[in-house]
Amino acid sequence: MVAIVIATHGNLSEALIGTAKMIFGNMENVAQVTFKPGEGIENLLDKYQTASGQFDDEPILFLVDLFGGSPYNAASRFVARQENMDIVTGVNLPMFVEVLGKRLAGGTLEELVQTAKLAGADGIKSFKEIFSHQKIANSAKEDEGDELG
Amino acid sequence: MKIKWLRIDSRLIHGQVANNWVNHVGAGTIIAANDSAAKDDLRKTLLLQVAPGRTKSYVMSIDKTARCYKNPSYDNLEVLLVVENPTDVLRLIDAGVEVTQVNVGGITFKEGMTLISEAVSVSPEDVEAFKELDKRGVKLTLQQLPNTGASDFMNRLKSKKLI
Repeated sequence: MVAIVIATHGNLSEALIGTAKMIFGNMENVAQVTFKPGEGIENLLDKYQTASGQFDDEPILFLVDLFGGSPYNAASRFVARQENMDIVTGVNLPMFVEVLGKRLAGGTLEELVQTAKLAGADGIKSFKEIFSHQKIANSAKEDEGDELG
Repeated sequence: MKIKWLRIDSRLIHGQVANNWVNHVGAGTIIAANDSAAKDDLRKTLLLQVAPGRTKSYVMSIDKTARCYKNPSYDNLEVLLVVENPTDVLRLIDAGVEVTQVNVGGITFKEGMTLISEAVSVSPEDVEAFKELDKRGVKLTLQQLPNTGASDFMNRLKSKKLI
């Protein structure tokens, strides 16, 4: 099973994992890394080392908050020489939950990376945009007969 | 119609949770069987808006759901059926739908209800309906999400001294 490290500025990673449990339920092989004021890249590298040490040689997917931020920059140094690790930026709840689902279904690291990119973007919608294209139900008519609809 | 999974969830179709269950039970169709939602154009439209994209989804009354269940052109259709409460399960059975097991997933707390788990509350009317379902041999299981633990629902009612 691919291991997942959620790494963010502040406590977002911890909260994101707690929130995802409400929607997905229990999860294994997920670690959180926080980056606090006053810390530097070296602290993050230590934290990544510790986090990855909990996993047995499994591939690791890092989901980090900001492209170019310290959690990303440290992860990129950590991952650059590793075949079986990757990083996806812009972590959000739709991304994380979809990745967990894909992983449960046996997804490989490469597949999880694609799922993360798609789901992270696809979870962003405008109600008005969808609603303006939606056909409004006509319940009186639709509840007749024995055909689905 | 093959009912792959029958779930009680007062939110009916509900974002990622619906998605998780559809994946888990392998159904291509979701039917939310609920009289008041089926009569409410806006609620129906909004429920369909959040249904998982790759499934066919319907919001229909209990009676219409039972009529479609009996329509032979849907014999091979694999369905995730969601209802609001146990009384509606009884109504489906009385209308001819075969039900052997029910996943009690989520019933939102309202005044006068008893909290059974983090996600499930029951009213006195619900308790009576659950007792009747149990009497008819329907297996009732408490489970919120596909990968959280399942437990026997009637035992839970007993431990809460509701039966």
